[in-house]
Amino acid sequence: MSEAVLTAQQLRKDYLSGDRRIEVLRGVDLAVTAGESVSIRGESGSGKSTLLNLLAGLDAPDGGSLAWAGAAARAERRAAFLGMVFQAFYLIPEIDALANVLMAARMVRSPGVAERARAKELMARVGLAERATHLPGQLSGGERQRVAVARALMNSPKLLLADEPTGNLDEHTGDAVIDLLLSLCRETGTALVLVTHNAAYAQKTGRQLFLREGLLH
Amino acid sequence: MPWYLYLALKQLFPSGRRFPFFTAISVTGVALGVAVLIVVTSVMSGFEWGIRQMMVDTEGEVQVQARLPMDATGEILQRIRTTPGVAAATPFVKGFVMAMADNRPTFPTFRGIDLASVESVANLKRYMRAGSLDDLDDDSVVLSSILARSLGAYPGDQIEIYSPLLIQKLKSDEVFLPRRMRVVGLFEVGHQQLDSSTIYGTLRTGQEIFGLGRAVHGVDVRIKPDANEEAVAAQLNNVLPPGVRAMTWMETWDDFLWALHLEKRINFFLLLIIVLVAAFSVMSSLLIAVVRKTREIGLLSALGARTRDVALCFCAQAFIVGLAGTVLGLVFGFAVLAVRNEIVHGIARLLHREETLRELYQFSDLPSHPLASDIVLTIVFSIVFSTLAGLIPAWRAARLKPVEALRHE
Repeated sequence: MSEAVLTAQQLRKDYLSGDRRIEVLRGVDLAVTAGESVSIRGESGSGKSTLLNLLAGLDAPDGGSLAWAGAAARAERRAAFLGMVFQAFYLIPEIDALANVLMAARMVRSPGVAERARAKELMARVGLAERATHLPGQLSGGERQRVAVARALMNSPKLLLADEPTGNLDEHTGDAVIDLLLSLCRETGTALVLVTHNAAYAQKTGRQLFLREGLLH
Repeated sequence: MPWYLYLALKQLFPSGRRFPFFTAISVTGVALGVAVLIVVTSVMSGFEWGIRQMMVDTEGEVQVQARLPMDATGEILQRIRTTPGVAAATPFVKGFVMAMADNRPTFPTFRGIDLASVESVANLKRYMRAGSLDDLDDDSVVLSSILARSLGAYPGDQIEIYSPLLIQKLKSDEVFLPRRMRVVGLFEVGHQQLDSSTIYGTLRTGQEIFGLGRAVHGVDVRIKPDANEEAVAAQLNNVLPPGVRAMTWMETWDDFLWALHLEKRINFFLLLIIVLVAAFSVMSSLLIAVVRKTREIGLLSALGARTRDVALCFCAQAFIVGLAGTVLGLVFGFAVLAVRNEIVHGIARLLHREETLRELYQFSDLPSHPLASDIVLTIVFSIVFSTLAGLIPAWRAARLKPVEALRHE
C-alpha cells in the first residue's frame, strides 16, 4: 500500500454568524496516498475552500487532527511539502513569470543554478518557455494559471492542493489547465487534491468525493 | 538573498516597469530632508569654521594670560618661545577704553600689539580693509570697520582715547588728558563683536594707556603646524609661574563656541523634522501597500513564508527607501553646496541686493565646511527614522491571517 501523504481525521470547523454557530465541517476524514488524485466537489458554501485551507495548514481546525506524510502539519514544513494553486492565480505583479515560479524555491533557500534550471524546465513544461520574462500583467488568464501550476510544483511537493483552478478561465483554457495539472502530477508522482464545481474535471481524477453537510462522501 | 529582501527590492523597483509613484514620493521626501540637513549644517559649520579661523588668525592658537599684569619681556617670554611646539609668541595688552570723535563716544576694547613680533603670530594684514598696518606707530591706531562707522572716523582722521586711569587720576585731583591718535587703517574680520568694538594700537601705547609700565596682559602663541594646541598649552602650563596660565583658543572662546555649537544643534534638530515627516510619508505609503497587497501577503503565507519574514519584507522596504533617499539626499545636498555661491549671487542679483548681503552679513561668498560627524549623524537619523517607520506596516502585515488575506477583496 502507498504511503499516505495526507491524513485528516475528524476535522471540524465552525464559524460564528452573529450569535449563531455554523458547523461548516463536522468531522472530515480524508487520506490521500502518494501520486493519488482526489477531487472534492460540493455546492457553493459547502466548505470546500475551508477544507482545503485546513488541509494546507493555512487555517486551524476547531477539532480533529492533520498529518502530512505521517508527521504533524506545521507551517514551517509547508513550503517544501505542498504546493497550492488558487482560482485567482495570485502571481506577484512586480516580478516576471520565471521569478514567480522561483519565488516558491526562495521560501526554502536562495535559488542556485539547479533551481533556476528546474524553474525554466517547468516553464517549458507548462508551455511558457517563451513567456518566462513576461510580467503577470502581460499574460492571459490561462497563462497566469499555468505559471501558478509551475510555481506550485517548483519544490517537488508531495502534495498539490488546487482550489477551483479553472474558476476564472474559459472552458477551453480550463480544460487545458486541468489536463496539464493532472499530467504533471502523474509525471512527478505528486498527490493532488482538486476542489472543483465541474463534474467533468472531477471525473478525470482517481477518486471523486463530495462535500455535503460538513462531511465528505 | 533572502526572499523578503528580494521581494522588498522588487516591490520598490519592479523589473521592466516605471519607477513606482509611492517609492518616488517616499525616496524624494527622505532625500529632501537629508539634502536640507547637509546644506544647512555645512553652511553653519562654514561660518563656524570661518570664525574659528579668524580667532586663530588674530590671536594664535594658544593664549597665555595672567591674573595680574606680568612682565613678559624677559624670562617668561623666553620660556614660552622655547617650549616645544611653540613657533612664535607676541605680547599684548588689552582693556576697555573710551574713544571719541566729534563728541561721539564709544567704549571699545583697545588691543596693544608688539609690532616687532605680531606678524609671526597674527595674520592681521589679511583683514585690513583700508590703510596699512605698516603705518601703525605709537601715535596712531587701526579701527575695526563697524566701530569706524560709529565714530565717523576713517584713515587720516583723529580720535581721542580716554584711559580708565582717568577716574583714578580724577580722584587724586590730577588732570589726565586723553590721547589724540591718528587713524591709519580699518580692519574687518567678519565677526560682528570684534568688528564693532576693537582698536589696535602699539604695545607701548597700550602700556601707557593702562599704566602698565613694561608689563603686559598676556602673550599670544602660534604653534608649529604639526603641534597639538592642547598639548602645547599643557606643556606651557608646566613651565609658567603660578598665576600665569596658558589656554587654547577653544578655552578662551569657550562660551562663544558653545553658543555657536548650540545654535547649530538646535537648527539640526529642527530640520530633522523634515526627515521625520518624510518617515511618516514612508509609513503611510507602506500602510497603503499592506492594504493593496493583502492577497499577496496571504499568498506568501501559502507559499510557506514565516510571519517574521513577512514583517521583515516591509521593514526592508522602509530601510531601502531610507537608504536610497539618504544617498540621493547626500548627492543633491553636495551638489547644492557646490553651486551655493551661484545660487546666493543669483538671488541677490535678482533682488538687486548684492551690496546689502555684503554689508549686513559681512560675506560675499557663502562658506561651507561639511563635517564628517554631521554627515554621519544625518545618515544615521534618516535611515533609523525611515526603518522605524516601517515597523507599524510590518506589524500589520505580519498579523494578517493567511486565509483572511487570501479572501481579501
